Amino acid sequence: MDKKPSHARTVIAYIVLILLTFLCLFFFYILVINCTRSHQQIQAGFSFLPGSSFAKNFNSVIHDAKLPVLSGIKNSLIVSACCAILATYFSALTAYGLYAYNFKLKKPAFIFIMLILVMPTQVSAMGFLNVITKLGMINTLYPLILPSVAAPAVFYFMYSYMQSSLPLELVEAARIDGSNEFHTFNKVVIPIMKPALAVQAIFAFVQNWNNYFIPALVLQENSKRTLPILIAMLRSADFLKFDMGKVYMLITIAIVPIIIVYIALSKYIVAGVALGGVKE
Amino acid sequence: MAGITFKNVVKTYDNGVTVVPNLNLEIKDKEFVVLVGPSGCGKSTTLRMIAGLESISDGELYIGDQLMNAVAPKNRNIAMVFQNYALYPHLSVYKNMTFALELAKVPKDEMNRKVKWAAEILGLEPYLDRKPKALSGGQRQRVALGRAMVRDPEVFLLDEPLSNLDAKLRTEMRSQISKLHKRLGTTFVYVTHDQTEAMTMGDRICVMKDGIIQQFDTPQNLYDYPCNLFVAGFIGSPQMNFIDAEVKKAEGGYKLCFGEAEVTVDKDLAAYEGKTVICGIRPEDLHAEKQFFGEGNMIDAYIDLDEMMGSESYLYLKYAGQKMIARVPARYAKKAEENISLAIDAEKVHLFDKDTEKAI
Repeated sequence: MDKKPSHARTVIAYIVLILLTFLCLFFFYILVINCTRSHQQIQAGFSFLPGSSFAKNFNSVIHDAKLPVLSGIKNSLIVSACCAILATYFSALTAYGLYAYNFKLKKPAFIFIMLILVMPTQVSAMGFLNVITKLGMINTLYPLILPSVAAPAVFYFMYSYMQSSLPLELVEAARIDGSNEFHTFNKVVIPIMKPALAVQAIFAFVQNWNNYFIPALVLQENSKRTLPILIAMLRSADFLKFDMGKVYMLITIAIVPIIIVYIALSKYIVAGVALGGVKE
Repeated sequence: MAGITFKNVVKTYDNGVTVVPNLNLEIKDKEFVVLVGPSGCGKSTTLRMIAGLESISDGELYIGDQLMNAVAPKNRNIAMVFQNYALYPHLSVYKNMTFALELAKVPKDEMNRKVKWAAEILGLEPYLDRKPKALSGGQRQRVALGRAMVRDPEVFLLDEPLSNLDAKLRTEMRSQISKLHKRLGTTFVYVTHDQTEAMTMGDRICVMKDGIIQQFDTPQNLYDYPCNLFVAGFIGSPQMNFIDAEVKKAEGGYKLCFGEAEVTVDKDLAAYEGKTVICGIRPEDLHAEKQFFGEGNMIDAYIDLDEMMGSESYLYLKYAGQKMIARVPARYAKKAEENISLAIDAEKVHLFDKDTEKAI
């Protein structure tokens, strides 16, 4: 039945959407306004108009010797980018293994991966810390990057996407054409998976950019720390030095790369969220 | 170029289901063989075993003189055209066609020459830079054929390649594939469930049911001398009429009696005297023209439904409690709910044993 939504319904829908948009964007607005205001101004209360302390706040963030913001950005970029690449590539590889091949333990393997999906990071954190200490990886970026090769959520997304968009005949055609299995994956499967890879790369990037828990356990030296830890350090600075303008400025700096990633790849995100379940 | 030989080949899946119980088949070099049968008859599995995409549970498969059981698909020197084309969607038509050649490290000049040759034959020259999604169904199918052609394979395997095309395009591609076979002089194995495709294209047709070959013969022989009830019913459109008839002794032979008809046949039916056999009459062997009318071979049937096809008419009849179809020239046809007199061509009556369903 093709029934046109009534006028009242449209109005209500718009009101709800406007409210939700306001809720989402208002905090960004507060953030941007507050990073231009001084500590005193912020403490005095909220204002809709920007202040004049943008340069002062920016300088105090960038030139704080105890707060290596630039190396923090660099570390965060390395970790997030590597995680995004590893998580998408290896999850696609795992999903392909389970999708395209028939072997005895196929079902148990799938169930095992799905079980890992429901396990919170915190549960295994102590064991993880123990292992990386013994491997001599403490206070390095490796423990943040390497585990992303096993990303069950990304795997599941890739698996669903393959079910809807990768006919096995393509793989068989490549086999007959003389392509070996790895070549088939890289040259035939990966290009077809591009939309799914793009959207999962964005999600993995953002997730790792915002990750606080594991970096806080693993990284001890200031020069190795990632942005979320630096933000936390600044917020817990001692009472006399506490500068809200500086905190807001650092948070603003921290979200800029994510906003850039989102704007640049928004077309993939919108298309990608609907991926997986829809057959063309 | 090579022939294909199946020796006692068995295919059983991991779940224990046997789709091909014991297959013996010899396809000659340069022959166009069509595997035909209803869904699930094992024809696609047989083709995929030739390709190496399905493992062989038991028995031996030879391409030429070489045993192929354990040879990987890429080393079998075969090319396959899939039902859904299986073109690489991210590559241009040219790249699709050169994919295998690049892997085989064929020199660029040679590659260009081959693609040009195939594109010329298939009329794909204007589309070489396009991606598959910018092509129509027929064009995609031709690219799939071109991709197979450029490899100079010993065997061409085609798995229901025309089933996704519309009727007009299907007829066109059918003749194009037949021409291609003559031009290339390669062994073709073609899987279809469409008996028109099988009859028009194959040098020989292999009719399969439940993984067992029912008959492997030329199209004409399959039509004229079906070996059992299944083949008789499967080949021919509309389907052959099957009528239970009693065998009685007559002067100079035996006669088949059903309803008021008593058709005398020139066959030794001594073993069936007094018994019921299945009498197979093709719809076109029921004649409405007067020159065929004779004694004993006439039926006066009631027309349930008539389908006008232009030059001829299909009449769905009821006679002596049994249903029949007649295919008569349109000008002799009558309308539904009328009676019509038809003559049975006694020479072309097929007889089948009621128990074994085999031809008598």
